Amino acid sequence: MDAEASRSQLAAALARVAAGDRAALRMVYQDTSAKLFGVCLRILNDKSEAEDVLQDVYVTVWRKAASFDPGRASPITWLVAIARNRAIDRLRASAVSRRMEPIEAADAVSDPAPVAAERVELAQQHQRLARCLEELEARHSAALRAAFLDGATYEELAQRMSVPLGTMKSWIRRGLLKLRACLEG
Amino acid sequence: MSANDTMDPADDGNLIAAEYVLGVLGAAERREVELRLAQEPALASEVAFWEERLAGLTDAVAPVAPPQAAWSRIETAIGTAPRPPSVWQSLTFWRSFAIASATLAAASIAALVYIGLVPNAPAPLMATLSGSAGQPNFVATVTATGNTLVIVPAALLTNDPRAYELWLIPSGETRPRSLGLVQPGQPIRLDIPSDLAGRVTPDATLAVSLEPPGGSPTGLPTGPVVAAGKFSNL
Repeated sequence: MDAEASRSQLAAALARVAAGDRAALRMVYQDTSAKLFGVCLRILNDKSEAEDVLQDVYVTVWRKAASFDPGRASPITWLVAIARNRAIDRLRASAVSRRMEPIEAADAVSDPAPVAAERVELAQQHQRLARCLEELEARHSAALRAAFLDGATYEELAQRMSVPLGTMKSWIRRGLLKLRACLEG
Repeated sequence: MSANDTMDPADDGNLIAAEYVLGVLGAAERREVELRLAQEPALASEVAFWEERLAGLTDAVAPVAPPQAAWSRIETAIGTAPRPPSVWQSLTFWRSFAIASATLAAASIAALVYIGLVPNAPAPLMATLSGSAGQPNFVATVTATGNTLVIVPAALLTNDPRAYELWLIPSGETRPRSLGLVQPGQPIRLDIPSDLAGRVTPDATLAVSLEPPGGSPTGLPTGPVVAAGKFSNL
């Protein structure tokens, strides 16, 4: 199945969820729960917290499916955003063990995940992101990745990279401005 | 701090959407952004931009299959979640009829009478198409002959310049089939294409999406779904 078809199929399943179709929610769950659980687990670093959030995510999908706008976002982006937002909110609200291990700039240079042939179009956008991140200073892109994947605050990032808070804010903001220029260009 | 490490504070305001999506904000700042999102479309599109562009970073996270029990917990949770109430019990439904023009109300009754005129017909199918808040936006009925559909706007929708396209998602399928454009301000009769006539059954879904003028260019919904509902026997 090509990227467009799989995207349409997920969007159509969400339209059926909006109409109250439980079987469609099950399909969405089967297609996406491993990805979303991985994302939640990475942020929360705690299995049972991640499970709670995952439940919350699909209940939200059940209730809010009608507000999904396929003209604005791809279905997987919409789902990932819900999962990340819920996980980050849970992280902020709880005192679960925060990730505090140091962030090494060298760690950031990861090989792009292998992409299945059917996801070429999505992969192109992701490759562009990877290229734009490579253009940043290594420590800036390391901070951006850790922020996005771990849901870390400025304070936590500053501590983990052993720099003053103001420096971390500058790194992130400069990184974001450069990234935006590169992604838009 | 070196000049290299400082930046113009005026840039900060432009980056709040990016900081929100990145996840570096504290709980209070996150709530602030979320409140603004509902009011500020420009901020909402900035957030959408970053969500779409940064989503690729999650490729680096290995998928993890959730425990088996996770799905049954979700099923239990949605089992008790409030769903839109049945149309006949819905105050919004009657209220919307009260505010709709007399023409619309008359047309709805006409649609019901029209169905009633066919003697010894099987029970006709009806679907209430609700919006995200559970308010019914359209009521659709299939004529007893099974090849014509009458769709009546139940509530007055916002004045969106986009076209309203009606889709049929046959029971057990995922691909929506276009049934044509509908009008938010007037009832309309649509012929059901012969290849789809047999698939308008109880449990088939009808949905209305917002599309560019003239309808979806791709043959699949491209805009938001503003109303959706399942058929059932009247």
